[in-house]
Amino acid sequence: MRSLARRSVFRLAAAGAAAFCFATQPAAADQAVEDYVQGILDEAAPILAGADHQTMLDNIEALVDEYVDMRRIGRFVLGQYARRMSEEQEAEYYPLFHRYAKKIYRNTLSDYAGESLVVTGSVDRSERDIIVNSKIKNPEPGSSYANTVIHWRVYRSRDGDLSIVDAGADNVWLAIEQRSQFTSIIANNGGGEKGVDALIAEIKTRLEG
Amino acid sequence: MRLFAYIAASCLVLSGAAEAQLSGAGDDPEDIARDLETADTSPDGADADPWEGFNRKMFAINDGFDQHLMIPAAKAYRTVTHKKQRKGIRNFLANLRTPVILVNDLLQGEFSRAGDTMGRFVINSTIGFGGMGDPAERLGIEQHSEDFGQTLAVWGVDSGPYLVLPFFGPSTLRDGFGAGVDLTADPAFWVRTDPATYFRFSRAGANIVSAREPLIEPLADIRTDSLDFYASIRSFYLQSRKREISNGRTNYEDLPDIGEFEEFDDLE
Repeated sequence: MRSLARRSVFRLAAAGAAAFCFATQPAAADQAVEDYVQGILDEAAPILAGADHQTMLDNIEALVDEYVDMRRIGRFVLGQYARRMSEEQEAEYYPLFHRYAKKIYRNTLSDYAGESLVVTGSVDRSERDIIVNSKIKNPEPGSSYANTVIHWRVYRSRDGDLSIVDAGADNVWLAIEQRSQFTSIIANNGGGEKGVDALIAEIKTRLEG
Repeated sequence: MRLFAYIAASCLVLSGAAEAQLSGAGDDPEDIARDLETADTSPDGADADPWEGFNRKMFAINDGFDQHLMIPAAKAYRTVTHKKQRKGIRNFLANLRTPVILVNDLLQGEFSRAGDTMGRFVINSTIGFGGMGDPAERLGIEQHSEDFGQTLAVWGVDSGPYLVLPFFGPSTLRDGFGAGVDLTADPAFWVRTDPATYFRFSRAGANIVSAREPLIEPLADIRTDSLDFYASIRSFYLQSRKREISNGRTNYEDLPDIGEFEEFDDLE
């Protein structure tokens, strides 16, 4: 577990992005949202410390189901094609995306097995779009990855409900990377509904594999 | 986290800059503003890839080279070395890159960072046993990266299209040109003797293997998770490159909206 975690930490640093994270916008920190994310991270800590790998994966999936707004992310990663889907495609795509993205989040978070994360601050892009930063609590002494910043992008709905809509490390974001893949697949398969069909087929293949 | 772009590192593996990590410079608001502004010149996403057809072909060739040569070499390297030895070798190779970083620090007017670069070189080359250790970091002088692509960005040159270079991997038109210029900032480039040539090739080989080794699993994970490996790498490269150009600073304003587009309203 620890070696996995160390590996994952190294990956982050290897990205050439280990650095201090400067909050560059003047927006005040959002304590409520920071507490929200810290609550999730606290909930995740015992899960990530779990000895049984499969149980840990199952528990992470439950956590992702509870806190990550997959529908919003699923819409975002379609880029300009989100509005070109038929109703039938939407009905097929969103559940598939949910399963696919959950797997990605699960794999990603499981790399933090044995670690716990602590919130270090937040930046409000707007009242409803807040970035919360975190880092590994008590990194190994001398670790050059101690400064790696792990971001959580939180969306506040009109009703005030909070949800996670993206995660990143050192300003490299998962949903943005997924959007690059998804729009590329759609565009390279004729765009529009035809391209979306190709994307759906691709996700199905991946999930079945 | 396989998440994020250890990939960028993979890109850097091939461009020979892999060992560099970033560090924020000073807190001067003017510095911060300038760093963020210069980083804005690199768009990400499919829109920034008008040469996708060529790039995908080149990517496939590089990938074959990676699968059949680099990964086996990296695995062999891992087998015959200890982790601490590999770290020492990484430090040593990073120290050799000092001239390129220093020149670009100066070209960017980053005199404080140039001082850091020089300080690191002197400290690590002496009490760091010729660069194998990194006592400079323990003294608070952190490693940072610069290259001529970043210098051009600071000078206001746009990134240009995304470009996959043969063997060198992901880049942009500007950064690919910059990588060529960086070759000339290397003193060994100008010494045309057999030993110098041998040194250059040996160092290049060592750089590639040393940088590829820690990425064996991360890149395999990304390949497994990706629906479109090429697009995945492209995004990771462009995202992390943007941050690199801004000297490690993060610009949240640049992020695309996720939750506030009109078309998302029906989700609530």
